[in-house]
Amino acid sequence: MRSAGSTYLRAAGTRLLAGIPVFVLVTFAATALSDLMPGSAAQTILGENATLEQIAALNAEYGYDRPAVIRYLDWLGGLARGDLGYTLFSRQPVAELLVNRAAVTFEIALLAMLVSLLLAIPLAMVSAARAGGLVDSTLSAVTSFLLSIPTFVSVVVLSYVFSIVLRWLPATGWVSPFVDPLGNLMFVALPVLSLSVHQSAYFFRVARSQFAATLQEDFVLVARAKGLSTSYIMLRHALRPSLPQVLTVLGLSMTFLLGGSFIVESYFAVPGIGWTVLNAVKNHDLPVVQAILSLTVVIFVVVFILVDLGYALIDPRVQAT
Amino acid sequence: MSTLEAHPVSAGEKPLAAPRRLRWPRLTLAEAFSFLFLLLLIAGAIFADRIPGLVRPNFPYGDFSRPPEWSINGLFGTDGLGRSIFSRILHGARATLTIVGIATLISLGFGLLLGMLAGYYRGIIERFVDLFANTVAALPPILVILALLTATGPSVTTMTLALGFLEIGTYARIAKGGVISQYDRDYILAARALGASDARILLREILPNLMPTLAALVPPLMAGLIITEGSLSFLGYGIAPPAPSWGGMIADSTDLLSRFPLLIFGPILTIVCTVFALNTVGDYLSRRIDRREKQL
Repeated sequence: MRSAGSTYLRAAGTRLLAGIPVFVLVTFAATALSDLMPGSAAQTILGENATLEQIAALNAEYGYDRPAVIRYLDWLGGLARGDLGYTLFSRQPVAELLVNRAAVTFEIALLAMLVSLLLAIPLAMVSAARAGGLVDSTLSAVTSFLLSIPTFVSVVVLSYVFSIVLRWLPATGWVSPFVDPLGNLMFVALPVLSLSVHQSAYFFRVARSQFAATLQEDFVLVARAKGLSTSYIMLRHALRPSLPQVLTVLGLSMTFLLGGSFIVESYFAVPGIGWTVLNAVKNHDLPVVQAILSLTVVIFVVVFILVDLGYALIDPRVQAT
Repeated sequence: MSTLEAHPVSAGEKPLAAPRRLRWPRLTLAEAFSFLFLLLLIAGAIFADRIPGLVRPNFPYGDFSRPPEWSINGLFGTDGLGRSIFSRILHGARATLTIVGIATLISLGFGLLLGMLAGYYRGIIERFVDLFANTVAALPPILVILALLTATGPSVTTMTLALGFLEIGTYARIAKGGVISQYDRDYILAARALGASDARILLREILPNLMPTLAALVPPLMAGLIITEGSLSFLGYGIAPPAPSWGGMIADSTDLLSRFPLLIFGPILTIVCTVFALNTVGDYLSRRIDRREKQL
């Protein structure tokens, strides 16, 4: 019985090991980005009118005139000390900036996940309980429609409905939840809803097919033969074995949510990671872009390790060690 | 029978033995719409210049922000500068479909090559393909392309190449899996016994068997590319104005949204229908494979 648990733990360990080359590859490519700039990187960053002294100063600090390998080793050394350098123009420590901005994006992403799950799982249960029925076919048609809506469309439509027509929610802006928790919820609502349109449809699809598959199992047949009600079977017998699949998808959707944060944050002027990257792109702020690329990879690896540990939690064959 | 097949749950029933190997399942209403819509869109994109009566996309054709009316140029209204939205949609379709088409060719070509070699020879090349696929899967494509654009500045060429490059891993992984699943089958053994070379086995024996799977995969992945391109254009880093693009048109009309909400209808309808149609066609093609697998 111990074996199931250690399998999941070993899988989590393998993920960590497999994540290392991915991390190295991405962070190195991010360091080498400045070599893609036409002409001298420092010149491009500072613009046409930069003086030679300014260029020399920039090169001295960021080393854009040195080979990418050297710069990468420098960056790794800094990383070990928790120092990611300074942003090019506002001269803020990159690490500090990143922590503040990531918190905002995470709040929105996690809430969007929560809302989508709360919508999708119950509907998927109802739908799978009568596969092929009216509810099921209606919901599957609605889902394929929702899945065709890009985030940049849902953003526009939802803000039109909720802030222009109904005037329920503010169109743009941001308040930290630590300053004004209620106000924060008002500002968070539209970004979260916009991301949830696609997400809930996606979760619904996965959960519905998983529930439908679980309902074909013998133990469900036994439960039905005992005369248990469908809702009882759904909640007590079918829910738990169907969850691992949903958990995997939850991990995968992290990339989608981070990608969606670019649209949502730029449209609603929310100061998160996506918004930061967009500003960095405008200013050629490579240290910021590099740090965010690295952070994204780390998030991805960590999420998948959490997913593996989540399997261990859900699976009743696992004993705590 | 066809109504049952729309629901994968009831897939337990046995299909009747088909006389031909690759029988096309009957189209549902949504699938027929999807094929028709895509055909019209592609035709519209190709012949956008030659449609009689249609004005050029950057031509100020009438008053600004006119609501939709029943004429070819005014079908979806005019935008903030008085340009025909319908004409801009068709020309935007041309730009989008070109970018997405080229990107798909790049990723399909390199992905197939790498994936087939990885599945056939395994070893170091498989490690490499896996590493590449895992790396790309860890990053949202928008982020990677924006990072590239930080260095190169806004450029449609960079975007197209990057879109293609980022999708190589997906196709490679599918091709690899396909080759591995075919590798031990008897017909490969027979080909080898007849003295066929590795190249012949890969290209003439295995490749045709990968085609149906890949054909089902291409449309939804193209839909994903259309969304990524649209997002970048929406953010102002894709197709640069005044050239028409769906994402750019949606971004433009948000400024006038409170006064002229109808003007955003055309671009939104087009992009949602396109993505829906591509996804539906993908589902249809994979339904065809499922059916074939069951018959084998």
